[in-house]
Amino acid sequence: MYQTFVGLEIHIHLNTATKVFCGCKAHFGDEPNTNVCPVCMGYPGVLPVLNQHALELAYTVSLALGCQLSHRTLFDRKNYFYPDMPKNYQITQFHEPVGQNGSIEFALADGTTKKVRIHDVHLEEDAGKMIHAGDMTLVDYNRAGYSLLEVVTEPDLASGEETEAFLQAFQRVVRYLGVSDGNMEEGSMKCDTNVSINKAGAGLGTKVEIKNLNSSRFVKKAIEHEQKRQAAVLEAGNKVSQETRLWNENRDVTETMRTKEGGLDYRYFPEPDLPPFVPDASFLKRIQDAQVELPLARKQRLVREFGLSREQADFVTDARFTADFFEQAVRASAASGGSAMANWLMGDVQKELNHFNLTLEACPLTAGRLASLQSLLDAGRIHTKIAKQLLVSIFEEDKDPETLLQEKGLESIATEQQLAPIVESVFSAHPNVVAAVKAGDARQKGFLVGQVMKATGGRAAPDLVNALLAKFLA
Amino acid sequence: MDPTFETRWSQFSAKKQAYLAYARPMEQKVGSFLTYRPDVEAPQAGALQGLPFAVKDNIAVKNFPLTCGSRMLETLVSPYTATAVARLQAAGAVVIGKTNLDEFGMGSSTDLSALGKTNNPWDFSRVAGGSSGGSAAAAAAGLVSFALGTDTGGSVRQPASFCGVYGLKPTYGTVSRYGMTAYASSLEVMGIASKSLALTEKVYGVMKGRDPHDQTSLDPAPGVARAVKTIAVLDGLTDLEPAVQRAYEATLDHLKALGYRLLPVHLGTLDYAVPAYYTIATAEASANLARFNGIRYGLRPEYAENPEDLIRKSRTAGFGDEVKIRIMLGTYVLRSGFQDQYYTKAQKVRTAIRNDLQKVFDQADLLMTPTFPTRAFVHGDRSMTPYQQKLADKFTVTANLAGIPALSFPAGLEEGLPVGMQFMAPAFEEGRLFEAAAKFATRVAAPDCPGTSLDWSK
Amino acid sequence: MDTKELETTALLAQIELGKGDLARLGEAVSQMLDNFRKMNELDTEGLEATTHALVTDNRVRPDSPVPSDLADALVERSPELEDRFIVIPNVL
Ligand SMILES: [Mg+2]
Ligand SMILES: [Zn+2]
Repeated sequence: MYQTFVGLEIHIHLNTATKVFCGCKAHFGDEPNTNVCPVCMGYPGVLPVLNQHALELAYTVSLALGCQLSHRTLFDRKNYFYPDMPKNYQITQFHEPVGQNGSIEFALADGTTKKVRIHDVHLEEDAGKMIHAGDMTLVDYNRAGYSLLEVVTEPDLASGEETEAFLQAFQRVVRYLGVSDGNMEEGSMKCDTNVSINKAGAGLGTKVEIKNLNSSRFVKKAIEHEQKRQAAVLEAGNKVSQETRLWNENRDVTETMRTKEGGLDYRYFPEPDLPPFVPDASFLKRIQDAQVELPLARKQRLVREFGLSREQADFVTDARFTADFFEQAVRASAASGGSAMANWLMGDVQKELNHFNLTLEACPLTAGRLASLQSLLDAGRIHTKIAKQLLVSIFEEDKDPETLLQEKGLESIATEQQLAPIVESVFSAHPNVVAAVKAGDARQKGFLVGQVMKATGGRAAPDLVNALLAKFLA
Repeated sequence: MDPTFETRWSQFSAKKQAYLAYARPMEQKVGSFLTYRPDVEAPQAGALQGLPFAVKDNIAVKNFPLTCGSRMLETLVSPYTATAVARLQAAGAVVIGKTNLDEFGMGSSTDLSALGKTNNPWDFSRVAGGSSGGSAAAAAAGLVSFALGTDTGGSVRQPASFCGVYGLKPTYGTVSRYGMTAYASSLEVMGIASKSLALTEKVYGVMKGRDPHDQTSLDPAPGVARAVKTIAVLDGLTDLEPAVQRAYEATLDHLKALGYRLLPVHLGTLDYAVPAYYTIATAEASANLARFNGIRYGLRPEYAENPEDLIRKSRTAGFGDEVKIRIMLGTYVLRSGFQDQYYTKAQKVRTAIRNDLQKVFDQADLLMTPTFPTRAFVHGDRSMTPYQQKLADKFTVTANLAGIPALSFPAGLEEGLPVGMQFMAPAFEEGRLFEAAAKFATRVAAPDCPGTSLDWSK
Repeated sequence: MDTKELETTALLAQIELGKGDLARLGEAVSQMLDNFRKMNELDTEGLEATTHALVTDNRVRPDSPVPSDLADALVERSPELEDRFIVIPNVL
C-alpha cells in the first residue's frame, strides 16, 4: 500500500495596475512588446522600484493564510538563464519572504475539512512569454515583470481529488480577498505540483515536479498518472528519479523535462537594489482592514445562521459577490428565510443569468430588487408564477419589482370578494363542464382553473382559486 | 585651484573653433573618448551653464552609444538618460562625448577596453588608470571641464591619481545609480573627475539627491558642519612604490604644516579589504552581467541552433577575458556549498571593515591614505600583472565596502608623473573632503599636464 | 579550482571555455580564490552580513502607471524581429 504526498507551488498574478518593479501597465491582450520599458526589458543601468500595492497584497494573503508576517522583508536574486527572463535572474524572496508557516483549511467532497500547511508566501516577478512557431520562437515581454505571488504548501495533500478540491478552495480564497482573478485557464494562476509516493508510514518519497498544468482538473489527472507511474517504478524494484516532468494534455501523461543533477543552482543572494522593507503600523492596519471572512468560514456561518443545506451554502459562497448578494437580500426581506433566497439564486436567477448571458455582478437584478420580489411574495401580493414573470421583467426592463407590478397590473387577485364574481361568470359560461365535474369527472376541474386564470390574466392566487372552486362545486 | 577655470570653460560654445583646434589633435594622442561629439551648442542658463562634460561609456545618455567598452554592446545606442546626467543637463552642462573604460568597469588601466586605447596625457606610453581612465584623461588633458566616472572599487580615484586630477567617490546612494550600468550594485556610485576642486564640489551638488528610479538613493543627511582638525593616517605604511612613498611623506608634512593633527591608526581589517571586495563585486557582477545574452539588444551570433546556443555564443564572443574571469569567480562564490565560505564570509568581513572605520572616525575627522601604491604604469603587463593590480586596490576598495565618501587629490609630481592621495570621511561628510583638499591645494596645486592648455578660451 | 568545477561554473554562467581558455582563465580564477581564502584568517564570529549599506527607511512606489514612450525604441534595438515580436531560434 502506497501513500501519496502532494505539495504545491502556486503562482498567482496579483491585481495591480502596474508591474511589480516598474511603472508599466500590467495589462493582458495588448500588442506584443508594448507594455515595456528599459526596466522590464533588462537594459543596462536600470533598477527595480517596488510597487507598494503588490507588497500590500502579498501581506494581505499572508495574513489571511495565518502566516507569521515578516518584520523585515527582503528580496533576493534567483539566478538562471531563460530567454524570456530579461535580466536572467528573477527578483524573488528567499531569505525573508513576506509570510511563513501558515495554513489553509478547506472542505473535502464528503463535507469534512482538512488543513494544509503553508511553507511560505513570497512576492516575485513574472517572465515574458514565448510562442513557438516552427524554427523560430517569438518573445513578448509584456508579461515580464508582472507581480506574481508564490504560495508554497507543505506536502500535505494525499490524492488528485483532494488536490483539485484544495486548488478550488485556494482560488476562492484569493478571489474573496480580491487580490487575484485566480484563473488557471487564463494563466493568472499556475501551479507546479510536487508528487512523491512511498510505502505507507515510510515518509516522503523522491520528489517529482510537474509543470505546465493549466487547470485544476489537469493537476488531478497528472497526480493520478504519477501515482501509477511511480508505483510501477517502485514495484519493479527501481528508484524514482528526482526530475521535472511536463504534463502532456493530449496524451494524459507526464513526460521528462529535465533531470535535476548538475543542472540548477540558483545562487540566491540578497537583491542589492532593493532595501529591506519594515512594515509600520499604518501598513499593518491596511493589511488588517483588507481581511475578509474566508469562504469556508462564511459557508459554515451561513449554514448556522440561515439553516442552508450544504449544497445551498456551497453555491451561495462560491463567489464572495454572491455571498454578499445573498446576505443583503435576506436581511432586506425581513419575513423570509435564507433557504428561499438561496433557492432563488440557485434556480431562477441562475437560469435568467444563463439566458441573458450575464453575471450577477453585471445584471439588472440587485439584492434589493430580489428582496422586494420576495417581500411581495411573502405579503401575498403576488404568487410564485407572477414572481418568476417579474424576475424576467427585471432582467428585460431593468426596473424595480414594485414599479413593474404597477405598470403591468400584476398584483394578485387574492380576496374572495374580488375572485368570486369571476368564478361565477366562468361557471355560468361553462354549465356543461360544471355539471360534469359535479358528476364526478375530476379531470375537467383543471379546465375551470384554466378559465379562471385566463380571465384574470394569471393574477388569481392559485390557492384561492382552488378554495373557491371547491366551495362553488360543493 | 583656478578661480577662472569655470568662467573659461563656460565659453566653450562661443570659442568652439579655438577649442576644436586644440582638442582634436590632443584627443588623437590621448584617446579618451569612444564617442566624441564636441559640435554641440551648450545651453546658456543654469548653475553649470555652458560647461562641456564627458560621461564614462557605461552611463546612459539618450541617443549616445552605451558600449561599456565591450564588443557585447558595441552597437547599442541608449534609449534613455541616467538621472544624474539629466540633472547636469538641466543645470546647463552639455555632454560632448562618452569616454573609454575597462570593459564593464573591470580593470585598473583602461587597457581592458575592447573598443579603444587610452593613454595617460602625462606620458603616452603609460596607462590613464581605470576603469574610468578615459574620463580622468579627458579632464587632465583639458578636453572637458569635468567628466563622470563610476567608482566600484576606486575606478574614479585611481585614474584621477594617475592623471593628476581630483576624483570624487561620493557616499553610496547619494548619487542615483539609475542609468549606470551595474557591475557591483552594493558598492558602486557615480563619481567626478576634474582639474577643479571647486567645480567637482559644485557638480556633486547638482547630481546628488534621492531619485524615485533608485530605491537605494538618498538625500545626504544635513550633517553638522565640522571643521577638520584631526586626520588619521595608517601606522607603518609600506609596500608603496618609492616615488609614492616620497609623495606620501611630503603630504604628511604639508598637512602638519597646515595645522592638522595627524593620528596614526592601525586598520586591522585592511588586509582583508581586497578579498572581500572582489568576492562581493564578482558575485554581484555575475548576476548583473547575466542580462547580456544577445536577445533583446547587443551582440548576436550569426547562427545559433537554439536559445541556449544563442545565449552562450553571444556571451562567449561578447565578453573579454577579464570579464569572463570575474563572472566565473562571482558565479563560483555564490554556488551552493561555497556561498558561506566566500560570499557570506565577505559580507561579514565587510561589516568588520565598517566597524573598524567607525572606530577611526570616532577619533579623527578624516582618514588619509595614498590612492594607489604606484604611479601610472606602462601599457601592457610588464610592470604590473592583473593580479598585482587587484591587490593594489586595497586603499580604494575600503571606501566602497563601507559606503563612505572619498576624494583622490593631486599631491604633487614625482619624476614627471602625478601622485594622488585620498581622504576618506564618514558617510555624508563630503564637505570635510572638500574643505581639507582645498586647504591642501594652497600648498600643492593640481598640476598642469605638459602640452595641455586652456588658452583656446582667451 | 579543478577543471570539472571550472566547467560546471562556466555552464552556470553560460560561457563557453575552449581548452586554452580553461588553462588561462582557470589560473586567474584560482589565483583570486586563493586570495579570497585569506578572509578565513579574520574572525567574524557574531558579525551580521552587510547586504545593504545605508538606506534605512522603506522604499516603495505607488501603483500608478508611468507610461513609457520607449517601447518602440526598445523593440527596434533587438537584433531580430517579426512584427513586434523578438525572434530567437526554436528548440528543435
Ligand atoms: Mg518562485
Ligand atoms: Zn516596464
